[in-house]
Amino acid sequence: MQRHDLSGRGTTINRRRFLGAGSAAVGTLAVAGCLDGLGGGDEDPFDSYEPQEAAAESSAVSWDDLGDLEGELTIYSARTQDQIDPLFEKLEDEYDDFTIKRDYDDEGDQLASILEEGENSPADVFYTQSSGELARLKDEGLARELPEDVIDAVDDNYRDSDGQWTGASGRVRAVQYNTDHFDGDDLPDDIFAYAEDERFRDVISTRPNSGTFHSFIVAMMEEEGEDATREWVRAMVEDQNATLYSSGSDQAEAVASGEQEIALGNQYYAGRIVDDDPDAPLDVTFTSNDPGCLFNVSGVAILEGADKPNLAAEFTRHIIAEQGQDFFVDVNGEYPVVDGVEYVGELPTLDEIDPLEFDLNKLGDVEPAIDLLREEGMTV
Amino acid sequence: MASNRFEKLSNAGEKVSYPGLTIISGLIALLVASPLLWIVLRALQVNPTRAGELVFSARTAGILLTSLGLMVSVTVLSVAIGLPLAILTTRTNLPFRRFWTIVAALPLVIPSYIGAFAFVSAFGPYGEVSSLLGVPMPHVRGFWGAVLVITLYTYPYVFLTARAALLSMDASLVDAARTLNADRFEAFRRVTFPQIRPAIAAGALLTALYAISDFGTPAFMHVEVFTSAIYWEFGALNVEYAALLSLQLLAVTGIVLLIEANVGRDEDASGGTPSGSQIRLGRWKWPAMGTVAGIGILTLAVPIAIFGVWIVRGIGAEASTYAFEWEYALNSVYLAGLAAVIACTFAIPVGYLSSQSESILARLFERVTYVGFAVPGIVIGLALVFFGANYVPFIYREGVVLLVFAYVVRFLPQAVGSTRTSVLQVDDRLPEAARTLNAGRLETFRRVTLPLIAPGVVAGGVLVFLTTMKELPATLMLQPIGMETLVTLIWSAHGTAHYRYAALPALILVVISGLSMLVLLRQEDV
Repeated sequence: MQRHDLSGRGTTINRRRFLGAGSAAVGTLAVAGCLDGLGGGDEDPFDSYEPQEAAAESSAVSWDDLGDLEGELTIYSARTQDQIDPLFEKLEDEYDDFTIKRDYDDEGDQLASILEEGENSPADVFYTQSSGELARLKDEGLARELPEDVIDAVDDNYRDSDGQWTGASGRVRAVQYNTDHFDGDDLPDDIFAYAEDERFRDVISTRPNSGTFHSFIVAMMEEEGEDATREWVRAMVEDQNATLYSSGSDQAEAVASGEQEIALGNQYYAGRIVDDDPDAPLDVTFTSNDPGCLFNVSGVAILEGADKPNLAAEFTRHIIAEQGQDFFVDVNGEYPVVDGVEYVGELPTLDEIDPLEFDLNKLGDVEPAIDLLREEGMTV
Repeated sequence: MASNRFEKLSNAGEKVSYPGLTIISGLIALLVASPLLWIVLRALQVNPTRAGELVFSARTAGILLTSLGLMVSVTVLSVAIGLPLAILTTRTNLPFRRFWTIVAALPLVIPSYIGAFAFVSAFGPYGEVSSLLGVPMPHVRGFWGAVLVITLYTYPYVFLTARAALLSMDASLVDAARTLNADRFEAFRRVTFPQIRPAIAAGALLTALYAISDFGTPAFMHVEVFTSAIYWEFGALNVEYAALLSLQLLAVTGIVLLIEANVGRDEDASGGTPSGSQIRLGRWKWPAMGTVAGIGILTLAVPIAIFGVWIVRGIGAEASTYAFEWEYALNSVYLAGLAAVIACTFAIPVGYLSSQSESILARLFERVTYVGFAVPGIVIGLALVFFGANYVPFIYREGVVLLVFAYVVRFLPQAVGSTRTSVLQVDDRLPEAARTLNAGRLETFRRVTLPLIAPGVVAGGVLVFLTTMKELPATLMLQPIGMETLVTLIWSAHGTAHYRYAALPALILVVISGLSMLVLLRQEDV
């Protein structure tokens, strides 16, 4: 595997441009909001679930061709504020009458809230990091089928086969390593080697509390069977004495400082550190065609109980339109899910990294994976 | 005073009953305990066989042992630190006593998870301290790391309660004991300690319950206790199993509350002159000051320095979405202020009743208000999400009502405890005098008792204010959508490695909470 520069210098300029308009206040003291809740507030400004102007298409359409967004949309976001707020702001700048009420929390907490709220959730849209939560939402009967044009626009691999959720951008699980200790070319391209190779004993870490990690274990069980997965988890905990982090940034930080040497996790945490300090001895590499290199999507679902399904649908069209996709590529270093948007970042393209082919809907059934992790003591 | 206590004993026979107050207390207890119903509801959804397997698994036993170990260690160490500091700052001729009192109390304003961030950054072979001094430092992590951090940020509960009791107790009794040839240690053991024991027990109870409900620190230090296991199950969307674990946590809490109820039986520590003779430290002055200073450096200077480094060096990438706005600080103060006022309002009837009445119900209601303090915020949060969305959707995530209620559920006991202690310290003869002058019970309370207990009530309110400022999980779940506070900003920015943006709100949080702590301490000195 070759080394890849993570610094992505071009992105900073883009980001500044987005944010140049000023950082609008996110917080408003919503005491006065009570009346809204009683009377149902403003109506969904659109008449139908149909495209307001142009339909979403498989080769990306421009925001100019789509219908205007107007009104207030409530989004529960399990994507972090730094990764998604600039896009929300960009949309609000583009449409004067459009505001997004955003609520940020971890994916688990966010989904747990929605499950407790059921049909009464104030959210119109659930926007999350990993397709596992979207599949779970669908299983609970809380997601609504997306409009046909949206379903047709997105590559089959990146959306629910029943059209109840869609990916918005792609990310790949990676191996982060300290460049003072390892050369990327010497690192194995097989995820099982990371649980066996003695070089990694005591210096490898993972982060078992994240949605993408759960997805990774589900995929491993699906592809390699329960016994092999159990053995991998056991070996990581017992033989390798893996450190278990509860935060992805601490995990990447530890590799950058030299305290740890290998971290299995999402590549963008390393990206941020290198972005800030290009000299940091940190880089990423990928395993080949196995669960260690699972391609997962962050994505959106429109809730069954949404007050404004039509506005939510038009919002979704904007996400998968050209400018939305460009945003993920430019600013977040993620992969597009729609044809016709080129990946131009510093990471290798999907052709170069050979991710596992996998039906993302299978990621919804996490219970056996959770049981296995609990039994083998990989819980933090 | 001794005579006073004697009167009280002799009065115990003639029962005073407070039917109205009992009903009000009962309603408050019921209200704050109501979110716990949700836990039972969810736990019951686990298939009984599976529930049995989970509850009696080796892992659960391990979690129970680790949790108990953590709680007991933190409590014992907190008493070991808090009590000597309380004596040092009230009974000795320690120079600059006021200053050291503030230093010793201030760690309470720093959320323990922020302390944990700072300690992990500061120590260890690759930490800031090592790179500054060029000496390898040990890691602060694991079980003892969690014990250390939680102790350092919760011992002030013991310090504050013990200190208040030492200040209000009649110190001339100690002198009397000394004239009867008791040495200093014996005088302490036989005279001082019995009088301040309930106060120590009350502080230790808060410490113990905080330790067992703290989530951030154990998770950060990679220790599996009830809270981190509950959080892990929530993250894995096993809400039912999380509820089951919460029930077990509640059982532990129940036992702790029972133990405290026995250790902390009321002694009437009311009393006359706080003067009495001082302990002269002599050459022990320097080591004593050094100890307090050392604790202050560790608990206060280390995190503040780390945040300073994050800001000055601009650590973490730029992200204007995390830019600080004063509105966030105002939101925090507004929420914490509301929670404090409501908690005090609830605490007065409950605290008053439990200190005046001998009835089991009064005692029970008081104990019930403590339960929420031991339950992790995420559990209370999710219970209110369920209740709010399904039964009161018109206020759910719109106004601050449910969020403030969550804070009251979590932090009420701090106000109840403090109110109760201050009612106990009111000289019974004053209200009696008012009654003989034909004042009604309510009027007596309003014109005589309330002014006397006001400092205690306010002290409790300040504690509620401080802890509300620090609270995170329930805030994230129940805040009106789009409302940001200091802690939610710290959480977001730190969680995505944008440290420079986490540092400023953390410092502001410490300053605001620190100022409220000064209010608390000023009051006591009067």
